[in-house]
Amino acid sequence: MRIKIDGAKCQGNARCWALAPDMFELNDEGYMEEGVIDVPEGEEKRASRAARACPERALTIIDE
Amino acid sequence: MTTQATLEAIPAHVPPELVGSFNFYTSEQMVPTPLGDPQAATSTLHSGPPVFYAPNNTRNGEGTWVVVRAEDQRKVLQDGITFSSNRRLFASALGEDWPLIPLEIDPPDHAKWRSLLNPLLSPKRVVALEPAVRERAEFLIEGIKSRGNECEIMNEFCFPFAVSIFLQFLGIGNENLAMFVDWAMDLLHGAPDKRTAAARRFIAYLDDLQAERRKKPTDDFMSFVTQAQVDGRGMTEQEVRAMSVLLLIGGLDTVAAALGFDFYYLAQNPDQQALLRAEPARLVLAAEELLRAYPTVTPTRKATVDVVLNGAPIKAGDLVACPSMTANRDPAEFNDPDSIILDREDNRHVAFAYGVHRCLGSHLARREIVIGLEEWLARIGPFRIKEGTTPITHGGFVFGVHDLVLTWD
Repeated sequence: MRIKIDGAKCQGNARCWALAPDMFELNDEGYMEEGVIDVPEGEEKRASRAARACPERALTIIDE
Repeated sequence: MTTQATLEAIPAHVPPELVGSFNFYTSEQMVPTPLGDPQAATSTLHSGPPVFYAPNNTRNGEGTWVVVRAEDQRKVLQDGITFSSNRRLFASALGEDWPLIPLEIDPPDHAKWRSLLNPLLSPKRVVALEPAVRERAEFLIEGIKSRGNECEIMNEFCFPFAVSIFLQFLGIGNENLAMFVDWAMDLLHGAPDKRTAAARRFIAYLDDLQAERRKKPTDDFMSFVTQAQVDGRGMTEQEVRAMSVLLLIGGLDTVAAALGFDFYYLAQNPDQQALLRAEPARLVLAAEELLRAYPTVTPTRKATVDVVLNGAPIKAGDLVACPSMTANRDPAEFNDPDSIILDREDNRHVAFAYGVHRCLGSHLARREIVIGLEEWLARIGPFRIKEGTTPITHGGFVFGVHDLVLTWD
């Protein structure tokens, strides 16, 4: 599983970080940078919960 | 001087079938109501048109469009070009004309101000503020305990707690806490003349502090902004004022009101209260659900161009209100939205708004709420609304509860 981050949509709500701080690394301002995260095997459930927590819909699950 | 006579007529471009009878200021449950539930009252709007026009829907009696659904609110709040936040509300109440920074600055200018402030209130930075937050909660709660087994929680805990943390953040200390709480009560809940006087007093105080820190910087917020560079230059006195005033009004009423509704809910739901007291680890999730159920603000924007939003013909210049309470009870986004389910997951509520103006202090606010409840539940036994007293709830600019007298054995 991979998760695509739309950097322009991220507004620093940090809900993904709250659920999975090890996978979603915030920058100094507390925002996610544009990019794609490779979810470690076995962490799919936690990662998808974190992705679904974004109020801005900045995170998209790809390659389920 | 707002009377019926000063209310604006309904603009000609608003179709009569989209004129609603509900507004957030004078409708049932929005006016001060004994033992009310104002957020739940707004839930009924989901059975009407997704965007409707509400006459008399600001403090000044202006009409606004009301965007009921979460998806449409995202369209408004994520588009700061079409929907401007530059309303200059605070200044206009003083007969002046300047924007709060960064809230009343639109993109693209907004980004540089926001980037300056974001690191000061980032989730990681907030972790460092937590010991001071907890210390203030302990101090206030122990004071209440020493005075007996009841208190009016807004005046004795929620407000002083929020004000105290703001002072700490600003770098002032707590010596003048009682004075600041009085000023804050006047500013946020006083009659219009008291509000204006309190606003001027706050500005004068912040101006003096700014002048001091410019001369002799320390390591606090005011020193940081007086030293900061924006566009390769230092900030003007007016810019520092516009920023510190925003932190003040953003950080006080909202946190106090959110905590107030939490206590109001827990006092009336002893089973849930007992569960959280026994298992405080549940509080992080529970606080999110209470933020969903009892949000307090309505971000409002001004259209910059004519635009149609889910059937509503919005004209440039129209005000567009996005009540967090209706978005948070949108059946399209939340299962069983009117039930409060303290272990609800997948809870992407909008208590802190969407878009570039997402509440800058949200991470601190979340921790203030969780720590305030943690310390209260750990130090005070099962509490309830005192027999013979009646809490009053209200809607309006910031939803709230007052006269909330709690007692415990």
